[in-house]
Amino acid sequence: MKILLALDDRPRAVEEALRLARERGAILNALFVVDATWERFTGHDWLSGCNARIGFLDYMLTLEEKAAAEAAKAYLAKAAGAPGELLTVTGDVVGEILKEAANGYDLVVMSNPFTRGLEIMRDAVAKVVRKCPCDVYLVAEQDRVKL
Amino acid sequence: MEDKGLFGKILAILPGLAVMIGTLYVLRMYVEPWMKDAVVFGRKGWLVQVMSLNYILLSIITGMVYRNILFGGAIPGWAEEGFRTTRLFIKTGVIMLGSLYTFDKLLKVGGVAITLIVAFVFGSVIFVLWLGKRMGADRSVTAAMAAACGVCGVSAAVATAPGVRAKPVDLAMAIATILGFGIMTMFISPFIGKALSLSDYQFGAWVGTGILNSGQVLATCLAFNPVFAPGTAVAYGEIWNVVRVICIPFVVFFITAWYWKGEAEAEHVSLSSVLASKFPIFVIGFVGMTALSSLHVLGAEGSETLQLMREVMAWIFGIGLVGLGAYIDVREIKAAGGIPLRIGLIAGATKYVLALIIILAFIPKEGAF
Repeated sequence: MKILLALDDRPRAVEEALRLARERGAILNALFVVDATWERFTGHDWLSGCNARIGFLDYMLTLEEKAAAEAAKAYLAKAAGAPGELLTVTGDVVGEILKEAANGYDLVVMSNPFTRGLEIMRDAVAKVVRKCPCDVYLVAEQDRVKL
Repeated sequence: MEDKGLFGKILAILPGLAVMIGTLYVLRMYVEPWMKDAVVFGRKGWLVQVMSLNYILLSIITGMVYRNILFGGAIPGWAEEGFRTTRLFIKTGVIMLGSLYTFDKLLKVGGVAITLIVAFVFGSVIFVLWLGKRMGADRSVTAAMAAACGVCGVSAAVATAPGVRAKPVDLAMAIATILGFGIMTMFISPFIGKALSLSDYQFGAWVGTGILNSGQVLATCLAFNPVFAPGTAVAYGEIWNVVRVICIPFVVFFITAWYWKGEAEAEHVSLSSVLASKFPIFVIGFVGMTALSSLHVLGAEGSETLQLMREVMAWIFGIGLVGLGAYIDVREIKAAGGIPLRIGLIAGATKYVLALIIILAFIPKEGAF
């Protein structure tokens, strides 16, 4: 079995993905997408000059790369010894998750709501669930109260 | 990244550009004339006279429909390069707007515009800095919102963000708030202007002072009166807009200095470096066009050259606004929330209403030109 974990800043999805992988003896690949859609997000801003715009996009990229490094460190600390690898790509978050999910995975694990990059403003979960070629396991932000 | 070469780049632009031009052609040639004659609620031309629908607002609405309905939330790859020319079209249009003025006309209203803009820009900035502190907001959010509410909306937030170490989540919320507020005011302002019988001068001064985003100031003025000529709403509104745009680097400097003053590790901020990196160069083109107009190089009022230029301007703005609409994602705006939303709504509404009161109290109906 092959599991894909879509990383965001919520630790619970990592824990759940690791638990599932251990229980099923699966390979777990974690995917961190550096969000490259800030230019599109601010596309309606016609006024900014080239320098201001480039300065802004460079700044956002720096923050994204910093988030990628922090996520990698946190993930590797938890997943030490687990079979699988950490993948980091740059692009549209949902597009990259779906692209990777098409590489023979049986399950995608992700937080709900999914908070990577600008996906906090969009419904990444709905898009992934609708288009994903395999099953999707959604992890709530906190443990649900068991009745 | 793959280098397409000049020819490849031009080819990549064509599909999206064709959609934008084709859309405007249909709107101007067929939809707008039909609306002028259409009888709704027993009144001919109701859509135009009461709803203030003209090709400008329709361009933005159609762009939004493309993005949010037809394209399913994102501009498709085949159209992306073409839609990216939006900025070029609107900036070119703004530069050409400089031909509506001569320096003596600018001097007549420049004093009023500068006084109102400087008072409102720095008044809003100080108000938001105070409001943010009162709400217990993070200093970087407060700083980004102060820039956005004070001067030119999203552009000011973009210019200020790196200097005040704005966090992506906060910035995304701030941009969605400002854009949402701007779109709302863009649609309601023409109604209010007509209900209060504001003149073009009063309307241009009001929206130029009270609306947060500069693009929406232009669109709102053109929705109120779609004519490009001296003395129209867009001619007055653009003077206010240009004064605001010139204020951006000063506001960025002021807010960045405020931010670092309160941080333990102070960073040196110099006005000259902020001016060099944030000054919007197209303003020089606008002033250059006004210089040509003042020297009568473009011909006298009513000349064929000026008439042609204004027709070209109408097309350029229309095409640009289709593109602008296609960059507005309603779902992203709906996701706005938290402190940026609260600050944006309070500051934006206060500025909008206060500007209207000041205009009604102090700005005469008769314009200076």
